[in-house]
Amino acid sequence: MQKILDEFGNSQKELIHVLHRVKAKFGYIPPETIPEISRHLKITESEIYGVLTFYSAFSLKPRGKHTVTVCMGTACHVRGGPKILEEFERRLNIEAGHTTEDKQFTLETVACLGCCAIGPVVVVDDDYYAQTTVSKVEPILEKYKKEKKNAQD
Amino acid sequence: MKVIIDGKTIEAEENKTILELARENGIYIPSLCDHPGLAPFSGCRLCLVQIKGKKGYSPSCSIYIEDGMEVKTSTQELRKLRKNILELILTEHPNACLICSEKKECDEHKATIRKVGEVTGCVLCPNNGDCELQEIVEEIGVDIVDFPSYYRDMEVKRDDTFFDRNYNLCILCGRCVRICHEVRGCSSLSFVKRGPETVVSTSLDKRLIDSNCQFCGACLDVCPTGALIEKGKKYESLADDKAEMLCPLCSVGCKLEVNLGEGRLLNTQPAADGPANHGQACVKGRFLIKDLVYSRKRIEKPLIRRKKKLEEVDWNEALDWVAGKLKKYKGKETAVIRSTQVSCEDGYVLRRFADEVLKTGNISSEPAFSPYRELAQKLGFMPALNYKIEEISSAETIFILSSNISVSHPVVWLEIMKAVKNGARLIAASPIELQSNRFVSLQLRIEPGTENILLGRLQKILTGGESFKAANESKVEEKALREAAEILKSGKSPAFIFGSESIQGPIGREVLTKLWNTAFLTKGRLYYLGLESNSRGIFELDRNFSKKGRQIGLIIQDVIDDKVKALYLAGSRIELPKKARPEFFIVQDSYISKNTQIADAVLPAAVSAETEGVFVNMEGRVQKTAKVLKPLGETRPDWWITSQVAKRMGAEAFDYKKPSSIIKEIRNNLPGFAKVYYPALEKSKEIFIKEETSQKGKLFTQEITSLPERNNKRYPFRLILFYSLDSYRNLSLSETVRGFRMFRNSQWIHICLEDADKLKLKNGDSIEVLSPHGKIKGIARITKTLSPGLVAASPEYPIFNNLGLSNGLQVMIKRGK
Ligand code: SF4
Ligand code: SF4
Ligand code: SF4
Ligand code: FES
Ligand code: FES
Repeated sequence: MQKILDEFGNSQKELIHVLHRVKAKFGYIPPETIPEISRHLKITESEIYGVLTFYSAFSLKPRGKHTVTVCMGTACHVRGGPKILEEFERRLNIEAGHTTEDKQFTLETVACLGCCAIGPVVVVDDDYYAQTTVSKVEPILEKYKKEKKNAQD
Repeated sequence: MKVIIDGKTIEAEENKTILELARENGIYIPSLCDHPGLAPFSGCRLCLVQIKGKKGYSPSCSIYIEDGMEVKTSTQELRKLRKNILELILTEHPNACLICSEKKECDEHKATIRKVGEVTGCVLCPNNGDCELQEIVEEIGVDIVDFPSYYRDMEVKRDDTFFDRNYNLCILCGRCVRICHEVRGCSSLSFVKRGPETVVSTSLDKRLIDSNCQFCGACLDVCPTGALIEKGKKYESLADDKAEMLCPLCSVGCKLEVNLGEGRLLNTQPAADGPANHGQACVKGRFLIKDLVYSRKRIEKPLIRRKKKLEEVDWNEALDWVAGKLKKYKGKETAVIRSTQVSCEDGYVLRRFADEVLKTGNISSEPAFSPYRELAQKLGFMPALNYKIEEISSAETIFILSSNISVSHPVVWLEIMKAVKNGARLIAASPIELQSNRFVSLQLRIEPGTENILLGRLQKILTGGESFKAANESKVEEKALREAAEILKSGKSPAFIFGSESIQGPIGREVLTKLWNTAFLTKGRLYYLGLESNSRGIFELDRNFSKKGRQIGLIIQDVIDDKVKALYLAGSRIELPKKARPEFFIVQDSYISKNTQIADAVLPAAVSAETEGVFVNMEGRVQKTAKVLKPLGETRPDWWITSQVAKRMGAEAFDYKKPSSIIKEIRNNLPGFAKVYYPALEKSKEIFIKEETSQKGKLFTQEITSLPERNNKRYPFRLILFYSLDSYRNLSLSETVRGFRMFRNSQWIHICLEDADKLKLKNGDSIEVLSPHGKIKGIARITKTLSPGLVAASPEYPIFNNLGLSNGLQVMIKRGK
């Protein structure tokens, strides 16, 4: 951690950069890093916390290897977004905003991704899935679970 | 320039917002997020106005006036718009009571029910009747909220001390976040999350006590709603009167506004026009005054010891008895020790009592300024002391010496922070990381007890000489010191700020002389923080008497040696050592304490809010505090009690009826007080102690005369000693007030984690700090800001309670019993 901090100056302008580096290193922002960042950048912990909770890019909880984002924007909502989300929750056995115990998947929602025409939209990592239905949920998940298996073999 | 508001032409000066100008001219524009003293924010949008030539609506709180500007503040359009905005604000604030048609009738018949878990309307809100939001709803006149209401249902945060936070009532005006950041420099509060989920909170939603909060109460005082609620006021009646008093708890002398209800003190808040504090105060003035007035330890009736037991008697009997007994002692056998938290009037009467009635030389001298008296002797004149606190904010360079000033004198610290924000450079020479280290531009981490060496080296650099051989004794690198010298030379008139701990103790005199030298070389100013609320006043009184007082330590020694047989102790927290047991012991004080338990007579004195009198703060500013409450029980002001004893001992000219007649006498006899008149003080005229100082000066020798002791293997730790100012008369604030003790305890002995692990100590364990010269007992407190090998303590009254301990001493730590 100190190494990361040493890459940056002591100016509070560096906060976002520092947070990105910490995220790159740990996959999330471990809460115990906040006091260290605070001392280095000479801003208070509360100020850091304010910034960190403002951007959805940062999370204080460990994240899964894959991030599943289900759109809950108006267009996707009316086309069945909630049902799809429910299915993901059931299959992964977690609620939105959480990570599976094996740290493979983090489930999230978003309010509109800007591609309403192809809704309901699901995004896993950088892959977009258009016109998703409840029955497509399992195959999508399987694809990423397989990846893991392949990698192990 | 000229500005036209609502058709009225107003002559105005630059640098004002439209809202400010309107307010000054009695034109009402509703506003919720704006607050004097805070930067414009434009968060609430209630203050919208129309400006000729500008499209749409502009927030008047953040638009600065321009010449010829034409502003409309109250068109029908605007009124409608504001009403809509207010309705939107109210959707997230319990609004039933605000718009209820039965409001008027209800107000008349229902008092606020405050003992509830959840506030769902004004009748349940502790802020009812004293709420800006209520006022604005009244003013704008909302009678229906046309949007769906939304209750956020967040848990009320009650686990901090002094105040609760119920963010269900929060309208996100941001005043608390901004004042904490902009004015107090604490940034304990932040806006957290975003969009509709936004709340005000701390890092990881921790308690404030774990989030760098100093419990100044500033957020509480600016909150326009009932979201932040003072615990101590929650169940009190509404205020029906206001008054003003001075805070008696440190040398700043903050002016406080007192809220009274049915003759009771409800709470105190910093007064906006306080000349020393400008609307700010600290945790003590904000939250503790009530505790010291209504402490359960207050003594309400005179007591005298008969047949080994203290019994209550009336004043006549007590005073006659005391006078009769005192008369039997010869001058030298008597002594008076007086606190420096009493007014000038009290101090003066006590002084005359010792000189003229008891005829003793044993009157305690003011301890905090005694190093100054010695410096004055060497110089041939008194170095200037009258520097205004507010002028610190315009300093270009500031040098703080071994003082935890953000804790001991927070109001002075606010000015330092202002200076830093204006670009000043702050040098902190201290063995400990200051609590507000973020603002420091150069930190000189010295070893405790080597302040004299550091300043000596600095002086050599400033005069162009070589540095000392013993340079490394202060553990500061030459390079850093040269940088400090450069900074000091670069700014105009640097401010050197230091407290009692620096100039007391074995090296204290040397430190003060070297501070004087350094200031002399850099054309700087010496800001001495002083100690108690009237340290300076008592010092100035005594300076005008021909006879000097005696050090408290010497008087106590005389008690031990049985040379002093009758001791008169007025308002002092000094604890007599076990060996010192005077034959006749009078305690004139307000609270039950160890001293009152062994006293032969206890004369109950009224406390600060109950008496009027004159105090002199660290700036030399003379201020008068008013009597805002009736003295509790039979208690009486100190001047009255002492002059009654004097009269009954047959003395003349102690016939004071009012303190103003004492001030008249002081004014006529003591030149420093020449301008001190009650009427002028009551009109808040600025009056300072008259100084006779000289511009010329001289440089003293730079020899280092004392080096810290070293290498005593039995005592592996080094002590950092700060002076706690957390007491009032004979009452310890942390011992008495639980909420305060959670936050700060004068019993805490700080130690770093590594050392605590080695000694197997946990937070809260009782420990002892021992040296060959003395010891203190306390409670272990593990902290991150100390380096291994150091312990820091801040006992109460180390000057008075001759502890034998001083800054930089080698000590040992033992687990206590
Ligand atoms: S009490 Fe003072 S320091 Fe604490 S949060 Fe409020 S303004 Fe900030
Ligand atoms: S707590 Fe009070 S001051 Fe702070 S944002 Fe909410 S309403 Fe404003
Ligand atoms: S203790 Fe000092 S700083 Fe605090 S409120 Fe009282 S006078 Fe002001
Ligand atoms: S609502 Fe889903 S992409 Fe816009
Ligand atoms: S007072 Fe101007 S926007 Fe709030």
